[in-house]
Amino acid sequence: MAAYLEPIINGVLLGGLYGVVGIGLSMVFGIMRQVNLAHGEYMILSSYFSLIFLHLLGVHPLLTLFLVLPLMFLLGYAIQISLFNRIMQKQMEPFLMVSFGLSIILQNALLLIFTPDARTLKTALVIKSVNVFDVFNVPLIYLVNFTVGLLVLVLLHQFMKRTYLGWAIHASSEDLSGARLMGINPKKVYAVAMGIAAVTAAVSGVLIGMTFTFYPHSGTQYLIIAFGVVIIGGLGSLPGTFLGGMILGISQLVGGRVIGPGFQLLSGYIILLVVLTVRPQGLLGRR
Amino acid sequence: MSPNRIRLIVIIFLLAALVILPHLASRYVVNVLLLVCVYVALASMWNLLAGYSGMVSLGQQMFIGLGGYTLAVFSLYYGVPIFLSVFLGGVVSVILALSISMSVFRMKGVYFAIGTWVIAEALGICFSNWGYVRYGMGLFIQPAYRLSMVSIYYGAVITCLVSLGLVYFLLRSKLGLALMAIRDDDGASEALGVNIFRCKLTCFLIGAFITGTAAGILYLNTIFIQPFEAFGIGWTVKLLFIVIIGGIGTIAGPIVGAIIFVLLQQFLSEYVGYNLIILGGITIAVIFFAPTGIIGTLQKKWGFELLPIRRQ
Repeated sequence: MAAYLEPIINGVLLGGLYGVVGIGLSMVFGIMRQVNLAHGEYMILSSYFSLIFLHLLGVHPLLTLFLVLPLMFLLGYAIQISLFNRIMQKQMEPFLMVSFGLSIILQNALLLIFTPDARTLKTALVIKSVNVFDVFNVPLIYLVNFTVGLLVLVLLHQFMKRTYLGWAIHASSEDLSGARLMGINPKKVYAVAMGIAAVTAAVSGVLIGMTFTFYPHSGTQYLIIAFGVVIIGGLGSLPGTFLGGMILGISQLVGGRVIGPGFQLLSGYIILLVVLTVRPQGLLGRR
Repeated sequence: MSPNRIRLIVIIFLLAALVILPHLASRYVVNVLLLVCVYVALASMWNLLAGYSGMVSLGQQMFIGLGGYTLAVFSLYYGVPIFLSVFLGGVVSVILALSISMSVFRMKGVYFAIGTWVIAEALGICFSNWGYVRYGMGLFIQPAYRLSMVSIYYGAVITCLVSLGLVYFLLRSKLGLALMAIRDDDGASEALGVNIFRCKLTCFLIGAFITGTAAGILYLNTIFIQPFEAFGIGWTVKLLFIVIIGGIGTIAGPIVGAIIFVLLQQFLSEYVGYNLIILGGITIAVIFFAPTGIIGTLQKKWGFELLPIRRQ
């Protein structure tokens, strides 16, 4: 049992990170009913931004968040205004394809600038671990990820509940024409929502960069993880996102322990496909 | 002359040119045409799913990878005749499509797109951890060295014509009408007695077969197959580009798109790294400024369809 306790605990902690990975995608879908296939690239782009600031300033990676977050907010805002807002009224296919095109462009631009080499955001946190009751070890970085992830989810929840902008975003997703009548400009609301989604992507990008190695094409992998989280938990449900993250984290780490490290991703994908087949609306989602 | 006669003459002329060409043109031109034919077949199948049946699949690469690997395994390990192995690639793809169909047809829209993509990724991981196909190192399809370029070319031409013919006659049949009804309003069409599951399944299986076979032809030309490339999302990017540029939901669209794509690829091959950026940029521009693609825009302007699916 103790052999499985470690991957389960670590899976729960990894789930905190995965929750942030998925939340941006879930938000955009909940508000605009559109799927942003460039979300994974937003994350890896943020990892590279953080890398640049790290080299320029020589500070701790977590401190680069203060620069990366506003930058990504502006980028998300600008992309929504200039690209996505023009194709919102149509079906889902144009949005899917434009975001796909954007992801290809970003990915290959990263490849050109940073070469395909593996990178990390170096910190001392990675090598430290906490020993719990002499039974299992928990990497310190996983604890940091979990704490930051939880913090982001709580903050986002409070933002949506307490601020005017949060209400406006909520109103636009509930009833678009009603929101218009109340003087809300949906295009601006969408842009802010995309900016916030990009901010959550930035947080997850920096955490991912500190925890794992990343490459220019890593975005695809994290996009699929984000889908896994969102689909398992249920679209648009905040507690569901957290739950989905944990289920995916646990299934990856336990699967990796049981079958072999090469199959870590695979066991996560299989859980995802099972949920998609059996309960397409997600565990906590409504139809 | 009536439009029908013009069409017939144009088509016969093009067919004759395709057959005679390898005896006149250089190796390079034949190679380019071979690629065009394979991409027309692949893109027509994606178009059949996304443009006519409302199933935007991001997982066509699962059939491409499987077709390629079936070809490699059968021809390399068991000495099966090479074009039979290509055919078997299509058969194995159909088996895969059948076995996942119960699961993927429960998903709609975005869920279908993601579901198919995840299956392809999962297959890629399986193949890269499978010692039988030499893990991620990939396989050299050595029996393909003995083939001449011209025989691969004819294989590609046949695959291309079969796929275009299938799409054309499929869409002019009762099934085509049912498909368009489903695409426009699935609830209403079901109420009128259209069996949605069977219609979609037919397209999905045909798509799997042709994609698997065309992939085999492509790998006869490339000779080397490796799991992350074979099951990579890059394939769907290419198909999406071809269909969007040419015109989604038209038969001639994938042909025009494939020609443009292959020519662009030839010209851009000097600028490694920039080519996908340019392709992505062109795709976005086309969606913004000509959402119906080149063929769609021209059809609206001239009111002439090269391969009409409606009866006059």
